[in-house]
Amino acid sequence: MIRRIATKEFTEILREGRFQVAAIITIALLLISVVISRSYYVAVNEQHAQARQVERALWLNQEAKNPHSAAHYGTYAFKPKYLLALLDPGVDKYTGISIYLEAHRRNEAQYMAAQDQTGLARFGDLTPDFILLFIIPLLIVLMGFNAFTREREQGTLALLKSQGVLPSNLAFGKWLGSYLAIVLLVVPVFIISAILLALVKDFGPFNIGALLLLLLVYLVYYAIFTGLTLTVSAGSKNSGVALVTMLAVWMVSVLGMPKVASNLADALYPYPTRQAFEAGVNDDKKRGLNGHEPWSEEAKALEKAVLVEYKVDSVQQLPFNFDGYLMQKGEEHDAEIYYKHYALLRQQFENQTNVYRLSAILSPFLPTRFLSMGIARSDYQTHWHFADAAEKYRVSMMDKLNMTFAKSTTYSAEARNWKADPSLWKQIPPFEYEPPTYATLLQQQTSNLLILLGWLGLSFLGLIYAAKKV
Amino acid sequence: MIQAIDLVKRYNGTTAVHQLNLNIQPGDIFCLLGANGAGKTTTINIFLNFVQPTEGKALINGMNVMQDGLKTKQYLAYIPENLMLYPNLTGLENLNYFSGLAGKKYETGELEMFLLEAGLQEEAHRRRVAAYSKGMRQKVGIAIALAKQAKALLLDEPTSGLDPKASNEFAALLQKLRQQGVATLMATHDLFRAKESGTHIGIMKDGKLLQTLTTEEINHTDLEKLYLQHMN
Repeated sequence: MIRRIATKEFTEILREGRFQVAAIITIALLLISVVISRSYYVAVNEQHAQARQVERALWLNQEAKNPHSAAHYGTYAFKPKYLLALLDPGVDKYTGISIYLEAHRRNEAQYMAAQDQTGLARFGDLTPDFILLFIIPLLIVLMGFNAFTREREQGTLALLKSQGVLPSNLAFGKWLGSYLAIVLLVVPVFIISAILLALVKDFGPFNIGALLLLLLVYLVYYAIFTGLTLTVSAGSKNSGVALVTMLAVWMVSVLGMPKVASNLADALYPYPTRQAFEAGVNDDKKRGLNGHEPWSEEAKALEKAVLVEYKVDSVQQLPFNFDGYLMQKGEEHDAEIYYKHYALLRQQFENQTNVYRLSAILSPFLPTRFLSMGIARSDYQTHWHFADAAEKYRVSMMDKLNMTFAKSTTYSAEARNWKADPSLWKQIPPFEYEPPTYATLLQQQTSNLLILLGWLGLSFLGLIYAAKKV
Repeated sequence: MIQAIDLVKRYNGTTAVHQLNLNIQPGDIFCLLGANGAGKTTTINIFLNFVQPTEGKALINGMNVMQDGLKTKQYLAYIPENLMLYPNLTGLENLNYFSGLAGKKYETGELEMFLLEAGLQEEAHRRRVAAYSKGMRQKVGIAIALAKQAKALLLDEPTSGLDPKASNEFAALLQKLRQQGVATLMATHDLFRAKESGTHIGIMKDGKLLQTLTTEEINHTDLEKLYLQHMN
């Protein structure tokens, strides 16, 4: 019975000019956005690969010099671009693409795409996620708002009801028919996108599973919106009321609630300002060991401790160069300070994330947004993971450089002029970043998945309830 | 088959149906005559469970429509005055859909037979209903009722808007259904049609069934006189 009703609804929708026009526009927009994003990403990716190569070459081609000079010279960690970020660029535009790795400092990622754009970028980009998250739900509203009210208005309701059809059958038949039309629109676009993505060269392995997961998330999202639209249609007196109600629901869910959620997260768990953050770091740094100040109290204390440990009287007798050792200890001290302050930031980030997770109850848009960015690896979680990996790499790089200096020389004034052989630069491997696995991702996103399914259940319940009253 | 027991329907203050008692047996065609607003449509809507009676009971095949709304609908077919269909579907698709909703499964050939039987010419079967005239839609409605193989037929001025030939064919169909034992309740303004095809006639005014008679008891002229007498 449900199948029969669905078939009829589906046939009706397909024959309607409304759907044909809307579908053509949406598919065209989606494909254009995929093609635009694709060429943009291909260009960015090329630059990215080039920059990586150039930076590595610059690092390797350093002349013989003191390793600590090389540490100050530094290098860059580049954040890889992921294929699915092409469909959902998430926060990529605002997070920066590379981190400068140097001695004594943990730097923020820089060169965000948003910085390069003019004020016009405020008007929004035509990216696939915009269409998938905002436009298709709107299309669902426009196609489904009169699914029930139309029966009343065109006069078919009486005959329909006289045939003795179960209200829940009618509701799910209509739901399935409308939903199939949306699936018919979305799935081919994903298939074409998959082909376009698979054709991108040098973009790393293309994970079809992730794309399917992304598709699944969006299909659930559309199922929810179809359910909500039909619920409102079944519960409304006429098509006008249904349309206005559903447009309000759309606005609140995709525009209002995300704003509420981010304001709430910010109000409850504000991030420190950059000034306050840097002041805190500098305060702590001043109070501690500095590799460049061997006369400070802390440096003297360290010297004493080392001398006691090695049972020698002077730094000259140590089996290594105390200068280099001090440098490394200073580095470690700085790294700890950064670790501490970033842990605070991170705590704030986690708190905000929890607010977002909870606020996902407010609108089906939010869990979908988070899941989509997460799967596309363009969310803040991935960015944090990348920044942490870069910092880890920086710490080990500094350790290698400073300790090579310490071990290769002994404490003396001339040692400062010691130059490491350029072969040392090669011993520092290039920075390779591995994003969190999909298992980790799913773990992070469990609550979003559950909330999304909760919304689906809720929309079905609403539909059954509203259909009884038609 | 179609039974009303002390049926009352009041809409805040006004009484649409007052103490209505009806008992339409299989093979009966009961024509409800009356002016607009006499309560004919309300009576039919009560049998369809679209309207809840204030008092009394409406029974289809012995079942109370208020309690077994869905079940009673298996036994009845309904043709409203202005039958509307899905404009983007063809006549055949509409028939297929509605008979499917009633739980019937037919081959395309069988469905076309129903449409032909209802008087819809073959070339119209596969055209979209948007291009149909009112009479053509009404014929699809008749086909839907035929396909449902109902035991009770509720007709709300089914022939209004049909041309005389179609109206005549409809009357012939009603006779055929009558012979098959279908009980029919028909609201109508058409005294001539009521006398020709009905078995019983009820005259209704302001919600009250004033008089019931069999069509054999009365000729057409007298019926008209009687009707006008009641109306004035």
